[in-house]
Amino acid sequence: MKTSPWIALVSLLALAFTVATSLSSRADIWSKRSKSNNFFGVIFGDGRKLFANQFFTMADVYFHSGYYPSIFDKNSAEQKEIISASHGAKETEEDEKKEDFLGQPKDWIDAFGRHFRLTEHVHLEQGNEREMLPWLRLAADLDPQKIETYTVGAFFLREHLGKTNEAEAFLREGFHNNPENSELLFELGRLYQDSADVTRARNVWELGVKKFLALDDAGKKENKLVFDQLAVNLGRLEDAAGNFDQAIKWLRAAQSVSPVPGELQIQIDAIQKKLAAPASVPATK
Amino acid sequence: MDPETTNVIEVKCLTVRYPKPGLKQVFVTAVNQLALAVHHGEVFGFLGPNGAGKTTTMNVLLGFVPPTSGTASLFGIDVRQPIARQRIGYLPELTYYYKFLTAEELLRFYAKIFGLSRAETDQRIAKLIKLVGLEHASKRPIKSYSKGMQQRVGLAQALINNPDLLILDEPTSGLDPLGRMKVREIIQRLKDEGKTVFFSSHELGEVEAICDRVAIVHEGQLKAVGTVAEISAGHANLERAFLEVVGYQSTCQP
Amino acid sequence: MNKIVALAGVVIKELYRRKDFYVLFVLTALLTVAAGMVNFFNDDKIIRIVKDVCLMLIWVSALIIAIVTTARQIPAEREARTLFPLLAKPVSRGQVLAGKFLGCWLATGVALVVFYFFFAIITGSREHIWPWAVYFQAMWLQWFMLAIVIAMVLLGSLYFAAPSSTSTISFILVVGMLGLGSHLNTLALQQPEPMQSLLAGIYFAMPHLEWFDLRDFVVYDQKLIAWPAFALATVYAVVWTGIFLLLAWFGFRRKNLST
Repeated sequence: MKTSPWIALVSLLALAFTVATSLSSRADIWSKRSKSNNFFGVIFGDGRKLFANQFFTMADVYFHSGYYPSIFDKNSAEQKEIISASHGAKETEEDEKKEDFLGQPKDWIDAFGRHFRLTEHVHLEQGNEREMLPWLRLAADLDPQKIETYTVGAFFLREHLGKTNEAEAFLREGFHNNPENSELLFELGRLYQDSADVTRARNVWELGVKKFLALDDAGKKENKLVFDQLAVNLGRLEDAAGNFDQAIKWLRAAQSVSPVPGELQIQIDAIQKKLAAPASVPATK
Repeated sequence: MDPETTNVIEVKCLTVRYPKPGLKQVFVTAVNQLALAVHHGEVFGFLGPNGAGKTTTMNVLLGFVPPTSGTASLFGIDVRQPIARQRIGYLPELTYYYKFLTAEELLRFYAKIFGLSRAETDQRIAKLIKLVGLEHASKRPIKSYSKGMQQRVGLAQALINNPDLLILDEPTSGLDPLGRMKVREIIQRLKDEGKTVFFSSHELGEVEAICDRVAIVHEGQLKAVGTVAEISAGHANLERAFLEVVGYQSTCQP
Repeated sequence: MNKIVALAGVVIKELYRRKDFYVLFVLTALLTVAAGMVNFFNDDKIIRIVKDVCLMLIWVSALIIAIVTTARQIPAEREARTLFPLLAKPVSRGQVLAGKFLGCWLATGVALVVFYFFFAIITGSREHIWPWAVYFQAMWLQWFMLAIVIAMVLLGSLYFAAPSSTSTISFILVVGMLGLGSHLNTLALQQPEPMQSLLAGIYFAMPHLEWFDLRDFVVYDQKLIAWPAFALATVYAVVWTGIFLLLAWFGFRRKNLST
């Protein structure tokens, strides 16, 4: 029997469509990867988080203009220095500059090879911090649940590059992907505070506290430092706004988790003195 | 050294042994105590059944394989010296030349290997392209050539240095009758120009038609050497003589 | 020398008549331009990631060109039997090897010049600076590193049966040398004996290809490396290339080449 190859081809195509129709509903149960709205999610699945960590590290490498320890070098725990820098830890930044992960050359090969390695510890500055942004963007795309990416990115966008709108959008994107996270709300509040939008800062910080407590009540262990920061900043904001009672309330709440409760007590005492004195600053709330 | 009196090819007590594939300590003798001399200006046929040692002998002459013992020389120069190959042309069996080059570029490349001047190269290329009948295709990449055309390019490259000795390995293998005739004509023309031609072939009719002398090797040893008439004496033709020399016995009863 | 140059000429013709180079160049150009067009936080001054991507593609492309082109030279000559009419001419096996090496190396050099010119145009158009001396140092050392790689692959191609196996093994070796070369001594110290001595031995005996990678200097706008060190690295590459070519010649000169 002689069959036209065209008939065979059409038959196979028809069969493929028929089977596809039947399989389409079942395939959804097998894997959610293809349904991901994230391109990287489709390609890498959960493996994308590994890339995200690497890209976040790349941002740090760029921050140090390539002077960075490899996984084989000593003191590799020094990684993620951008996090400390982004939290304004100037002393740590200076200390870290003094440290030399390369150490003394181990042999003549190592000594000669240093001619071809970057050996100067520098940090990006004067707007060149922008060069880190692509890696942070990619890290956020690969792992939308990695909070540090948003906080670090927003810090550099806001503090060093003057891109407040972009920083806000990035943090909001992070909050959209992590609606229960209070750290992002803290960063968002800082951004509003810097923009002198006290009301919005207060709102997001209070929301942050609410989210934190909700998770705490649910038994999910969260970073207590975040609550400390939220409460302390709310306390200072209320203090500046003349809402001394509120300020004391927040600082007392912070004392319960703060590593330096004594410092907070000094601030509380100062506010209480102001409270005892006649009011000079009108309340804004 | 007078080229007229020196043997163009001289092989003395040549023995070549190969280690057996996979067994380094076991050797196979491909050529055994072979002695041969090819004179200036003759067309010499090198005959033998498959596995007789023809190709191995040629490989030694061309320096591809070192002799285990004995000597081989071209124009009186040891074959291990690259300069021994300055005056020879070689056409291997079934070679697929650099397919990204044109015939003209291929010939130009080989001319550079011989250190020919540009003017001489241009002149030789024009002459050879015409000789092998590739005028219409000389600027086309070799990848577009038929098998016969490739063999003709091969012949042209073998002649690029105007060699005094031409070594041809199965030159008509795989060619159509017209191609064979063309190759035969070229060999005849080279003979008329006083060149020496040394070639192996299974086409005994062809050998009979163009060779001055032939040698028959079998199992690595030289079994017969002489003019076609001397070898064929007492036999119907060269083919019958060849079959007797190699000890062939027909299994078909009349 | 004319014979070696003639042999090299054929290799160069092969490179520019095959599609490999054009495909790799177009791919590099497309990916670099695509990286340059991505908008990151509305900042159009971002350039380092574009440089990084482009240089990485240049390195990968140059390695592919060098390794794949070299790996097929001798095996292809044997397979197509062109080695026989070639060696039947007054050319020594050493000259064949030298010609093949020179051809592959020059062909890779031409490819590198094209790639780096593209790189300079792309980055210069955004930064409006052209640090030619740094580009020269980076390209020169990369080219000399490729000389070591080409000589090494040529040696491998005499022993491995197929060009694909030579290419694969060469890629693994080169990537290993580039990635681990400077860390083997550190790794050795963390290992028990006899692994420690073995790794330390490899560290001192291997060619240190990682020295020839100056991408970081280009990406992070660092100053030039010291010219004496640069010259010494060039000499180092020449020595290692010579070692591999000599080893290849030792293997090739006595090799039985039966038609």
